[in-house]
Amino acid sequence: MHVWRTSILAAASALAVMAATPSFAATELSLQRFFGACDADFGSNTDVAKAVGECGIITSMINKFNADNPDIHISVTTVEWPGYDQLTAQFAAGDPPDIVSIHHSALSDYQSKGLLMPLDEVLASVGVKPDDFTDAARNGVTKDGQIYGLPIDNWTMLYHINMDLFKQADLVNADGTPKLPTSVDELLAQAKQFREKTGKPYFVQNLANETALYTRNFYTYLFQQDSDFFADPLKVKLNTPEAKKVLEMYKAIFDQGDTTKDMDYAASINAFLAGEGGVHLNGTWVIGDYNASSQTAGTALNKGGYAVYPYPQLFPGKKAQYADGHAWGISQKDRSAEETAAIGKFLKFFKDNDFEWSRTGHLPSVKAVFETPAFKALPHRDTVAPIATLGTALPSTVQRQFAIQDIIGQEMNAAMTGQKEVDAALADMENRINDLLANL
Amino acid sequence: MADLTLPRPAPAQPAAPSRRRVQNVNAPLWRNALFVAPYLVFFVLLLIVPLFWGMWMSLHKADAFSTGRFVGLANYARLFNDRIFLQAIGNTFYFVLLTVPALALIGLLLALALNRQTRTAAVLRTIFFASSVLSVTIVTLIWRIVFVPGFGLLSTVYGWFGATAPAFLSDPKLVMIAIAIATIWWCIGLPMMLFLSALQQIPGDIYEAAALDNAGRWRTFRSITFPSIKRTFVLVLVIQIVLQFQLFGQARLMTNGGPNNVSTPLVLYIYDAAFKRWDLGLGAAASEVLFALILVAAMIQYLVSRRRGEDA
Repeated sequence: MHVWRTSILAAASALAVMAATPSFAATELSLQRFFGACDADFGSNTDVAKAVGECGIITSMINKFNADNPDIHISVTTVEWPGYDQLTAQFAAGDPPDIVSIHHSALSDYQSKGLLMPLDEVLASVGVKPDDFTDAARNGVTKDGQIYGLPIDNWTMLYHINMDLFKQADLVNADGTPKLPTSVDELLAQAKQFREKTGKPYFVQNLANETALYTRNFYTYLFQQDSDFFADPLKVKLNTPEAKKVLEMYKAIFDQGDTTKDMDYAASINAFLAGEGGVHLNGTWVIGDYNASSQTAGTALNKGGYAVYPYPQLFPGKKAQYADGHAWGISQKDRSAEETAAIGKFLKFFKDNDFEWSRTGHLPSVKAVFETPAFKALPHRDTVAPIATLGTALPSTVQRQFAIQDIIGQEMNAAMTGQKEVDAALADMENRINDLLANL
Repeated sequence: MADLTLPRPAPAQPAAPSRRRVQNVNAPLWRNALFVAPYLVFFVLLLIVPLFWGMWMSLHKADAFSTGRFVGLANYARLFNDRIFLQAIGNTFYFVLLTVPALALIGLLLALALNRQTRTAAVLRTIFFASSVLSVTIVTLIWRIVFVPGFGLLSTVYGWFGATAPAFLSDPKLVMIAIAIATIWWCIGLPMMLFLSALQQIPGDIYEAAALDNAGRWRTFRSITFPSIKRTFVLVLVIQIVLQFQLFGQARLMTNGGPNNVSTPLVLYIYDAAFKRWDLGLGAAASEVLFALILVAAMIQYLVSRRRGEDA
């Protein structure tokens, strides 16, 4: 009896192993991304149309890819934004993920060290052509004539506007659109009027322990003055009259109380949603969430509506504002033909579903999506559409853009809050960046 | 030496060789190294090799992906011409000054208050020690919820009185104090426990004798308690100096070193140099400076405590 029982158990075990064998054969790829974690809401969702927000949509898209491709399994690691310190350590340790979310502005760092795989052949093998992408998206991922990432979007910063407060401040045109400034003087005058009529600051900004917002604003207003501050990608020129004008403008806004002052990123979002100020300077990625809030009864944005626009042109130069983009980068390592083919499938899936990602608020990277009725029907895309032509990136040969961002943000903060004179902050900013670039 | 311990055996006796081996039981034998070899292997591989590798790297222009070229002391020259590095050294000393005396004194006061055999004291000891088991991420999250402007606990409490809470996470004068408060709350458990164990080793009859002599509380503390735990006090100071010199997580997560680098400690500077700027040689050089600072602090304590021992 005992022998029989043992034999039956052994046979059952063998069957179980055989049954499980096909799942072991699935090609495993590791993926590392930012965009947050939301497994509680979307951890098993494969219906992408039901997902909202960056995290919900990207989680659902990867779930759907895994469900549609049982022969491939993408295992996901989520990192805190932007995750480059960790990625650098992983590359140094020889253990990078196969697929990684990466900003166009960070590609040069890794591509210049030969750590990323050129994707031209892989993309061609699955029928994805470089011409499928917008110029901005394609240029963002092209280095030395080769494509080093699958662009999934372009993004920029925007004026997110509380229309109720703008109405109170008498800053609305006859057609119901917000009155936006056309010069620095007009901006300061409108901000003063806003403060006097509403008792609240014109801007909601995350100025505490933050560098990205400062730097993006700084680049935007330098571009608008035609300042070619990175003519040499290894030597920046920031101790200039153009840069001084930008810092003085932000210092005036700070000194006059026309901005929130001590908020970090999360606090600034809460403040804007609670109606604590007129204009929130934030990215394309919050359009969906703010629009949803404006449609919810009882919210500050529901009271008078929500509008979103590109940054106003404050200087008499080129019409421009700073833009960047997200992409999937592929680490350079030895892979089997199956693994490379699986990567190709994954990249094609994201190219084919770029509309879903564009629901986040980001601009599509795929040209054809712009023309689809579904995209045109998305809220506020008519007002933010000009960023497709306004968006300007730093030269792609500029390395360590995130480290540069920290330096600019720290020095701008010091100048705005009065810890340093504007001239001293600009001199330090320039010296620190040039020291960094001289030691690449 | 062996001759002194045992009488020399007669040459004709067959048991002599084995008895001779027994004689040398206290003599140094290379094979005894086998007992410590496993520890030594890991010690050398994980501590000594990286220590010297770090020193070697600090003399190179290196990034995370290559050792680069030898540059001599150029990285050290760059460091000492870097205003932010010098500021980071100052910030680190300021933080040590803010936290170490507070940790020692509060730890001692808590230990004195909780050195009783009651259930309440046991519960309170557990509560005060509980924060020590949390990770730095949780600790900073808790204190961000307290300090965050507009929506934090502090803002809510100030709001009840129609006042505005101090900007602990962005005011240059307050950020280091905010980090110190979070750190003291987090680290208070260890000093308290060390003091408690020292207090419990003081014989009770000394206190009885003092009570019979009508000694007051302060006199008892000054003449009995403190002299008895003086060595523990020094130990707590040394441990905390070494620990707090290595401030990183709290500053990284609460203020990211800002504003204007006023809360950038040395380890955050090293991290930024090595992982954000990919300037590994510069990061290694800054690490060696930190190593030297901690070594000096530990040596000063060692020399002071040894001299006191000799004086005694």
